[in-house]
Amino acid sequence: MKTWLKIAVSVWLTGIIIAGIAFPMVKVPQTWYEFPFIPGLEEKARNIIFHVPISWATVVAFAMSMIYGIIYLRKKDIDYDLRSVSSASLGLLLCILATVTGAIWAKFNWGSFWNWDPRQTSIFILLLIYGAYFVLRSAIDEEERRATLSSVYSIIAGVTVPFFIFVMPRIMSGLHPGSLGDEQGKGPVLEFKMAPNMLMVFFASLIGFTVLYFWMYSLKVRQMRIERHVQQITETH
Amino acid sequence: MEFFEQNQMYVVLVVVLAIWFGFLGYMFVLDAKIKKLEEQIKK
Amino acid sequence: MMIISTSYHIFVKEFVSEFRTRYALNALLMFVVTTLSIILFSIGQESPSIDVLSGTLWIVIFFSAMSGLSRTFVAEEERGTSLTLRLLVNASSVYIGKLVYNFALILVLSVIIAVSYVLFITEFTVKTFEIFWLTILLGSAGLASASTILAAIIAKANTKGTLFPVLAFPILLPLLLTCINATKLATEGAFLVEAVKEFQILISFTVVMIATSFLVFDFVWKD
Repeated sequence: MKTWLKIAVSVWLTGIIIAGIAFPMVKVPQTWYEFPFIPGLEEKARNIIFHVPISWATVVAFAMSMIYGIIYLRKKDIDYDLRSVSSASLGLLLCILATVTGAIWAKFNWGSFWNWDPRQTSIFILLLIYGAYFVLRSAIDEEERRATLSSVYSIIAGVTVPFFIFVMPRIMSGLHPGSLGDEQGKGPVLEFKMAPNMLMVFFASLIGFTVLYFWMYSLKVRQMRIERHVQQITETH
Repeated sequence: MEFFEQNQMYVVLVVVLAIWFGFLGYMFVLDAKIKKLEEQIKK
Repeated sequence: MMIISTSYHIFVKEFVSEFRTRYALNALLMFVVTTLSIILFSIGQESPSIDVLSGTLWIVIFFSAMSGLSRTFVAEEERGTSLTLRLLVNASSVYIGKLVYNFALILVLSVIIAVSYVLFITEFTVKTFEIFWLTILLGSAGLASASTILAAIIAKANTKGTLFPVLAFPILLPLLLTCINATKLATEGAFLVEAVKEFQILISFTVVMIATSFLVFDFVWKD
């Protein structure tokens, strides 16, 4: 990643934090920096600018982990496994952050930190899957075998995830904004009533957090490559 | 000071920004250190 | 047609080696008896809701499947017969043979569990038997489909015993939730048509699982 991009994303996200927290929320917006109220969400709507991009980055991270896993199985190059683990570990971190930020928001919107809403359940499953993924990895010593088996596991787990989309709504209706049980927004989250200026900040945040994720990811991969290199040197000596 | 007492949201903003800059500083330092190690390995 | 006959031979081999020792079957029957009596003791004089009871039914089935199926490939590695098998038979036949054997084992097991559950727990009344038995059948197929590939994975890991339920739970959760839902429908006396959606989910889960495992089994087996 280029240095200018790192500086750019730092400045970019600083601007988003300022906008997300400090822009006033009023009934009737007068100037460009005033967000309108969203009924039922009020000031809590600011969470959209931080929680949703983090959840998005989680999905990106896990998808990348799975894709690099598949490439590893085809090419058998251990570097792809390093990339796969790096994305998975960052994905797990982001997933925890998304769960925590979501739960805090849920406490003040739904009345409890955790109530097995379909989205909460699916993020919980993601945590379980990648928890199991790292447990599996720690149980295998041999490098290539570990890479193969964990890639296979992430593929197997990956194909079951779509089933939650069909299964969960039958168990309970959702409260999450954008799901069917929510009167405010029928359809995906993005369709719900966001003012154009808020929508801009939201998308800017989405881009910013994705770039930030790629920066963290590149650091993680490079660190793992160095680690592996050092390990090989000590083994040969 | 009076401004901050009236608009307490900005106090939160300053706190969050302080943490954010700390995190960014950590990222840049870590990046530089990894780059140094990579160069050492190349030699 | 080669693949069918070799798969059949693998299935027969599993069957014979199991009946030589009867290790798995005896252990599993004891497991079922133990868990069911724990449930009976803990219920005591209470009459728990039907939701809880259909949940515990699938807990018993899930964990007995976990303890029974984890040995599929581990036994092969322990006895050192996996190398011979790898040389003689192609991977797909091994997979199919093991899958069918696992399915048979888990089906027998869950039928035993279901029958004794209905007999001993009086609060658990099934009104629509078609839904109930179809759920047991399709649920067993789903359990077998996912656990065969996972058993192959953990056979190569160092700590085998505890790993299996940890790996299997997130993958099997959509299946278990659907099964619990269908069981609830059966106890409420719903018509067969009302549970069609549940059966569709169960069938598609099993098909997707088998197809994916079929594609990736080669990597695990040849490793």
